[in-house]
This record gives sequence, C-alpha cells and structure tokens, in this order.
Amino acid sequence: MILAQIIEQLFKKPATNKFPAKYMPKSIISFLKSGKPIVPPVPTPPRFRGKLIYHRDKCVGCEQCGRVCPANVIQFVPQEKKVRFYLARCTFCGQCTDICPADAIEMSNEFLLADYNKYSKNLVLE
Amino acid sequence: MVQLFWGSVVILFGGVILGLIYQGVDRKLAARMQARIGPPIVQPFRDIKKLLVKENIVPENAIPWIYNGAPFLALAAVVTVLFYLPLGDQRPLFSGYGDLILVLYLLALPAVALAIGGFASGSPYAVIGAQREIVMMMSYELPLAAAIVALAWRLDRALPGITAFSLKEIAAHPIWAYLGPLGFIGAILLVGVLLLVMPAELSKIPFDIAEAETELAGGVTVEYSGRNLALLRIADAVKTVVMGALILALFFPYRLGGVLGLAGAAGGVVDTVFFLVKLFLIILIAVTIVRVAAARLKVSQVAYSFWVPLTGVALAGLVLIVLDGLFFM
Amino acid sequence: MARVTDERTYYTIPIGPTHPSLKEPLQFAFDLEGERVVDVEIKPGWNHRGVEVLGMKRNPLQTLYLAERICGICSVSHLIAFSRAVENALGIPVPPRAEYIRVIIAELERIHSHILWAGVAAHELGFDTLLHLTWRVREQVMDILELLTGNRVNYALVTIGGVRRDITKEQEPLVRQALRYYKDLLEMLVDAFLHDPTIELRTRDVGVLSYKDALELMAVGPTARASGVKKDIRVDQPYLAYPALELSPITPDLFRPEIHGDVYDKIIVRLLEIEQAIGLIEQALAKMPEGEIGHATKEEMTELLVQIKEREGEGIGRHEAPRGELFHYIRFQADSEIPILWKVKCPTYSNLMSYRPMFQGAQIADIPIIIACIDPCIACMDRVIVRRDGREEVWTAEQLLAKSWEKTRRLKG
Ligand code: SF4
Ligand code: SF4
Repeated sequence: MILAQIIEQLFKKPATNKFPAKYMPKSIISFLKSGKPIVPPVPTPPRFRGKLIYHRDKCVGCEQCGRVCPANVIQFVPQEKKVRFYLARCTFCGQCTDICPADAIEMSNEFLLADYNKYSKNLVLE
Repeated sequence: MVQLFWGSVVILFGGVILGLIYQGVDRKLAARMQARIGPPIVQPFRDIKKLLVKENIVPENAIPWIYNGAPFLALAAVVTVLFYLPLGDQRPLFSGYGDLILVLYLLALPAVALAIGGFASGSPYAVIGAQREIVMMMSYELPLAAAIVALAWRLDRALPGITAFSLKEIAAHPIWAYLGPLGFIGAILLVGVLLLVMPAELSKIPFDIAEAETELAGGVTVEYSGRNLALLRIADAVKTVVMGALILALFFPYRLGGVLGLAGAAGGVVDTVFFLVKLFLIILIAVTIVRVAAARLKVSQVAYSFWVPLTGVALAGLVLIVLDGLFFM
Repeated sequence: MARVTDERTYYTIPIGPTHPSLKEPLQFAFDLEGERVVDVEIKPGWNHRGVEVLGMKRNPLQTLYLAERICGICSVSHLIAFSRAVENALGIPVPPRAEYIRVIIAELERIHSHILWAGVAAHELGFDTLLHLTWRVREQVMDILELLTGNRVNYALVTIGGVRRDITKEQEPLVRQALRYYKDLLEMLVDAFLHDPTIELRTRDVGVLSYKDALELMAVGPTARASGVKKDIRVDQPYLAYPALELSPITPDLFRPEIHGDVYDKIIVRLLEIEQAIGLIEQALAKMPEGEIGHATKEEMTELLVQIKEREGEGIGRHEAPRGELFHYIRFQADSEIPILWKVKCPTYSNLMSYRPMFQGAQIADIPIIIACIDPCIACMDRVIVRRDGREEVWTAEQLLAKSWEKTRRLKG
C-alpha cells in the first residue's frame, strides 16, 4: 500500500537535487556572481556528450563536419580554411566529432550553457 | 463592546495567519511525503501577496456583482464561524443558545458562495464545477449534521441543565466522560465520519472534484484571479482551521493547563500550544495524508459513498448514541 | 453553447488545444448530457511542424537526428524505424551485435516511456504522489541511457547500418544492476497501481475499447493489446534481434482472468511490458555476439555518405514503439543523397480513432484519463493541415484518394 511508503518517505531525505540552491534565489545572476558555493548538478557519466571543444590547429578544413551536422551549427570560413561553431543550435549528437578525420572536435562534459545571447563568447567556437 | 471589537480583530487576523501557516505546513509535509523539498512554509503568504498585486479580471459574460461578491461572502462566513469556536485557551467570542446550528449553516455558506460565484462567472468549466460543488455539499451535509446532532443530544441527556447546542458548553464538557460502552463505539464512528467529511468540506483530494485541476482546470475558481482568488485562498485556509477546531471542540476539547496544574498566563500558553498541536494532528491526518495517498474520485462515486456508506455509519453512530442515552444512564 | 439535437439539449464543452489535462495541443469538443459524454469531435492539427519536409532537404545522416526529435519519449523508436527504412531502401547490412544493442536501447526506452506514462496517468487521476514516485524511479533508466549513449534524451545512438557506440564490458554490470532495481521496484509499482482502491474505482470499466472496436479501428500497441488483440510487430514481423529472443504479446489476461479493454487493463499491459522489457534486455545481454557494430569509424561513415548518394530505392521501416507500431517510408533517387520522399506514421495516428468509442458514455471526470490512456504523442502525429486564404479545409477520404490518384498519374507522366 502506498500509505506505508509515504509515511516512510516523510522521514527520509527528499530525492531532489538542490541545484543550484535549495530555493530559487531572488536573482539568479547575482547569486551566481556572488561566488557563494552552489550545490553541484548531478554528475555526468564518462563519454558524456557536452559542449564541443574545437582544436583549431588540428583542423584541416575538409568540411566533413558541416556536411553531417543536422542543425547547421558549423560554418566554413573559406579564407582561413577553418570552421566556426554556433553552439546555440547544437543538439549534442556528436556526429561531427565522429566524422572529423583529424580529430579536431571533442566533446567535453560541460553542459551549463544557458545564455541570453546566442552569439555570446561562450557559444561561438572558433 | 471594545473588548469584543479587539477580540474579533485578533481572531480575524489570527485565524488568517494561522490558516496560511497550516497551509504552508501542509504543503511542506505533502512534498516531503512525495520525496520533494516543497516550498518554504511562508509560501502561502507570498502567494497571497502576489495575488493581491495582480489584476482582478472579471470575464466579459460574468455577472460582476455576484462574481465579485462571492469570495467576500465565503471569507466572511468562515471567519464568522471562527468567532463561535473555542480556540486554544480562549472561550469563544460569541456564544449562545444553539450556536452549533448556526455554525452548521455558516459552514455551508462558503460552498454555496463558491457555487454561486462559479455560476456567475459564465465559463462552462466553472458551471460544471459549481454543479459539482452543490452535489458535494448535499452529500456531506447529512453525515455532518447527524454527527453533530447526536453529540449535542447525548450531552443534553447527560447534563439536562446546560444549553447543549452551544459549542461553549460542549467544549466545557468533553463527551467521552458521559458515554457508556455503546455510546463510546458510536462516538468513535462519528469521529471517523467527521474526519472523512473534513477533506470533502475543504475540497481536498480525493474530494476536490469541484476544482479538479486536470478535468476542469480549476472548476469553480477557473475564472477567478487577483484579489478575488486571494480571498478564496484565504477563505480556504481559514476553513481548514475552522473544520479542525470544530472537530477538536466537539470531541477533543481537552486542555493540558489544568492537568499540569498551571493557571494564569502559563496555563494559557500551554493550552494554546496544546491546541495548535492538536490542530496540526487533525489536519495532518484528515487533510495531508489523505490527499497524498488517494486519487481524485468522481462526483458520482463521492455522492454514493457519502449518501450510502458514510451516512449509514453516521446514522449507526447516532443510533448507538441514542441507545446509550436511553439505556445506560 | 447549448445545441439541440433530436429534441434534446446537449452542452458542448471544448477541451484543448490548451488544457491542463493535455500535455500537447489537441482539440476536443464534447457533447454532454449532464456529466455524461454523448459524443466527441476530435480536431488535431495544432502541432504540425513540417518535419517530413525538413527531412527532404537533408541527407539521411542529418535526418537521423531530426527523426529522433519527432518525439522526445520514443526517440530511439523513430531512429530505429528511420534507419531500417534507409537500410531497406539502399541495401545496407547491419551487423548482428548492432541489432542486439538496438534492442537493448529500445527496451530501455520502453521501460522509461511506460513509467513516464504511469506517472502521467496518475496525475490525470489526481494522484500526484504516484506521479512523483514514478518519475523519481525513472531517473535510474535515464541514467543508464545516458551512460550508454552520452545523452539523457534523444540518445543519438543508432545510425544507418549500425550503432555508434558499443556496450562495453564495464557497462554491462551497471545495466544489470539497473534491471535488478526495476525488478524489485515492479512489485511496488504493481501494488501501488493495481491494488490501489481509488485507482481501481477510477479506471475499471472506464474508457472501454472492445475487442471488435480495437480490430476495426486499427488500434495498435498497448491500446490494442489491452483490448485483447494480440498485436505486436516484434512478434508478428520479427526484426532486429527480436526473433532470437523469447517474447509474446502482453494482454491483460495474464494478470486478471477477464479482459475488459478499459483503462485499468491498459495500466496492466504497460506495467507487465516493463517486466517484459527487463527480461528482453537480460536475454539480449546474454545472447549478444561479439563483433562489429557497423559504420562507427570515420572511413565507414564517409563511405556511407557515398553509398547513400550513389544508390537508389525505396524502403519501409517498422518498429514496435512503446505506444505501438511506428512506420517510416523513404525513397531515394540515384545521384542524390537527399530523399525525395519521407513519410512517418506514428502510433498515435492509428490510435486516435479509438478515442470515440472510449469516450461515448464516459463522464466528464473520465475525460483526462481517457485522453491519457492511449499515451498520445501529438507532436508525432500531426501530419496534415491545410490553410488557404486564412481558412482551414478538412479533406475527406474521397478527396484525398482523388488527389493521390491525380498525383500518381502525374508521376507516371
Ligand atoms: S554535435 Fe551534432 S549538432 Fe552539434 S555541431 Fe556536432 S554535428 Fe552539429
Ligand atoms: S571535419 Fe574536422 S578537420 Fe574537417 S573541417 Fe570539420 S573540424 Fe576541420
């Protein structure tokens, strides 16, 4: 019966992960800027597909990544024979990472990418 | 006169604050039972504050004066009941011959007000909600009345000198001392009935069919916003205290101060705390746990279960108490 | 709002496109007599996203991730059906190990989808505690999926001609551990749902879909199976590694002797399917052969793109998604990597028709749970919406048939 379960739960710790704080701060931005310790998010497993890392020096400019990217994240810059990523569109499928012949793209485990500006520094990768 | 005025101001605000605090506690405990953290206990106050600064929208096809008047009526009715209830160590502010009957009527008033407001808001969801509210009311009134009448009659029988239909007297003479074995069983049945009537009266799951979020998107209250909704919320919170205090006054009016031999201010504090704890337990059992552990019933199922089994139990309790009164004197 | 038909007055209440009991936009107009539903009119088309057209502008390797996003809950189902369609069309082989991995992911997804559904159903019944409970225990399977694929939702694991990641030796015990967790849990879930008096009161003989209606209206998936129709693509037309696994369609008579076809039976079927999925994953883990997983290396992937460009053909892909049969059709021309036609038929589309018999005679209070009981996924389902001069036209079956004849003639030249 569910009754036993709920009474038991009453005396147990809640399952919620209190990320980034137990209750919504008055202002999230000033909370994050204040440098107070934040409750960490749930850990990510190995080989997690997070924010891309681009090794510009390794890239040979073959344009393969742009051909398979489903979200048109990747723009080819012909003058430099390099690519540029607009990560606000990225769907984290990892297809570009898999196909890149020069291993120039990698996936990190960073996933806190929310931003007001989709062209912010953090979201445009060169 | 002055004392009466200040008394009613204190009870009015005290009742509202107490109601909102208990609502916060209820939400917190329900959240913990569901393994959530839940809102802070002051959240209901914040909700009310926010509602009060929000726009008060009156739908185009509503009847404004009824629509706006209903929340006031609901709140006024429950607060008036508060004046008649013995709270903590306090004797009720008003009392008199037969105030129990008055309380019964006043308790029905918020539901009626809500139903009228629902009909007046001109939304099909609200109209269905209002119809359900009325059906609900008709369902739980009979068991409630049966329980209360049985109790008062038995007390009158035991102590012929007092005005038994007065809450003050009932609270002053806890019923259990005057009951024989049959009456004892009957009274226990009646306590059970009242504990089930309480969530129905308060429109809480499994009896929240008049508001039924997933079916009627809020039902009777669907069109209400801003100040009106705040009043309804407050009325709901106060009603929780009222129902709890009523059950306490009827069946568990015991005080700790006298038992511990405390008098004066200390006794008052102990009594008040004890009352708050009793109230908390009643709300925990009849509202929080029930609403966490059940699904919403259908209106036909509620009507049936209140009219047939529950009324049956209430009548059985009544009969037992009457027999007790007749043969075990 | 009153409408007079046969000298009786029915009230019409609209539910949707937005309503608390709907998780996605869909519109119903209920004719009511008191609290009783007399008839219902269903109007889809509020969530048409033009996914198929987008898919006809991209190469299949890109469309994979688009197909996956048709639905967030049965995403790998769309991926499997889509890649099977492409593989059929272009004749691309899939190595056996990849087929097993696909089965494992698909069944993990079934566990998570059914648990999610159970929570939604509980919420529609006003039983929020079970909603919180089920969604809490769902985390475990989400974590396992994240571990195996790198993503929590939209796993991006299946690719054309194989899968993109192998299940390693270190991961297997973790999967087994999660399966054990769900095995223990299942007893509690069955207890909380099927032995709860209020749930039984609210769902027994509510939303009844008779065996005959289920057959005639072509219901699929758990909706059909709850009415006793033994229909399951995994058994009827085995694919992937399913032929090698022990499996039979789940009907409610495995739990209670008689079949009612009501919402209660649908809960039974879905809970038992969780158990079945656990069994299937265990079998698959045990039987999984060693070897290739297909098109995982860079050269293979580039090679694949070339093949897609060169070859032509048409193919279908079917998969038993958690909600029922899912169907993808795709057609390629030579010298183009972009398909000229892609068609998706998702289970909700087949199940939508069964709403009408389920609603007739129901009460208002039953509406949310009946809406939820086919586990509708509107975003997958919305296909056709015609707007012209600001006016919507609904085409009848005859008109559509005439249109398609016309088009066939035009194609033939
Ligand atoms: S991860 Fe996917 S969506 Fe993101 S850039 Fe790479 S291919 Fe494009
Ligand atoms: S695939 Fe790799 S090497 Fe080629 S352009 Fe993209 S990042 Fe550069």
